[in-house]
Amino acid sequence: MDERLLVNQLKQGDETAFKTIVDTWQDMVYNTALGIVQNAEDAEDIAQEVFVQVYQSVNSFKGDSKFSTWLYRITITKSLDHERRKKRKKRFAFVKSLFGDESEVVVHPPDFNHPGVVMDKKEDAAALFNAIGQLPENQRLAFTLHKVEGLSYQEVSEVMRTTVSSVESLMHRARINLKKILEVYYKEKD
Amino acid sequence: MMSKKTIEGKIERTLESLDGMQRATPQPWFFTRVKARLQREERSVWESIGSFLSKPAVAMAGLGLILILNLFVLFKQDNLHEATNVANQPVQLSDSESILASNSSFDYENVQP
Repeated sequence: MDERLLVNQLKQGDETAFKTIVDTWQDMVYNTALGIVQNAEDAEDIAQEVFVQVYQSVNSFKGDSKFSTWLYRITITKSLDHERRKKRKKRFAFVKSLFGDESEVVVHPPDFNHPGVVMDKKEDAAALFNAIGQLPENQRLAFTLHKVEGLSYQEVSEVMRTTVSSVESLMHRARINLKKILEVYYKEKD
Repeated sequence: MMSKKTIEGKIERTLESLDGMQRATPQPWFFTRVKARLQREERSVWESIGSFLSKPAVAMAGLGLILILNLFVLFKQDNLHEATNVANQPVQLSDSESILASNSSFDYENVQP
C-alpha cells in the first residue's frame, strides 16, 4: 500500500481511499487518544474527530513528514483540546456547586484500565496511568507515545517536533516524577 | 507497614507494567460511524449558519442594516431628482435682466411700425 498514492486519491475525493486510510490507522489513532485521555468513550469521539479532520483538510498535508506522523499530531492536538474542555467544564461545575447548584456534580473517574494490558499487570498499570495523568504535558506525551504506542525516541521526536536528546531528557524526568508520585501512592495505600 | 525496599520494588514493577501491552482497538463499524459524523458535520455547517442568522440580535442587526441601506438609497435618489430638476428648469433671470430682455424683444418685434 503506497501512502502517497492513498493521500493523493483522498485529495481527489476518493471514498475508497478514505476507507482504506481509516481502516489502516484507526487503531493507532484510537490507542494514542486512549493513552492520553484515559477514557474509552472520549477516545472514540476523538478518533472520529481526527478522521473527519483528515477528510476535510487532507489538502493541507504537503508530505513533508510521514502520513502517520501527521495523524499523530492531529490526534495529540485533539486529545489535549478535549482534556482542556473537560477541565473547564469540571471547574465550571465546581464553581456552580459552590453557589448551591447541585445539578452538575463533580464526578471523579474510576481507575483507568487499558484493554491492552496483560491481565496480571492490570492493577499496576492502573496505578501507573493514574500517575502518568499527573505528569507535565510534554513528559506525559513523550512517555505515552513511547510506552503506550511503542514509538522509538526518534519517532517521538518527529511527532513532537523536537530533538532525540530532548525526548531522552523528557523520558528521564518523566521516570523520576513517576517514581515520586508512585512512592506517595504506595505509602498512602499502606 | 511496607519497607522502603518493598515500595521500590513495587514502583519498578509498576513502571514496567506497560511493557508488552497490546494496542487498544475501537468498537466494530468504526468507519460507518466516521462517515455518519462527516455527514452530520456537513449538514451542521448550514444549520449553524441558519441558527446564527436566526438569533434575535443578528436578525435585528440585519433588519436595521437593511433599513439604513433603504434610507440611504432613498435620500440619494431624492438628491439626484433635485439635481435633475434644477438642471431642467429654465434659467431664472433677475428683474433688470428680464426688463432688458423684454425691451430688447419689443424693440426687435417693433422694428417696423
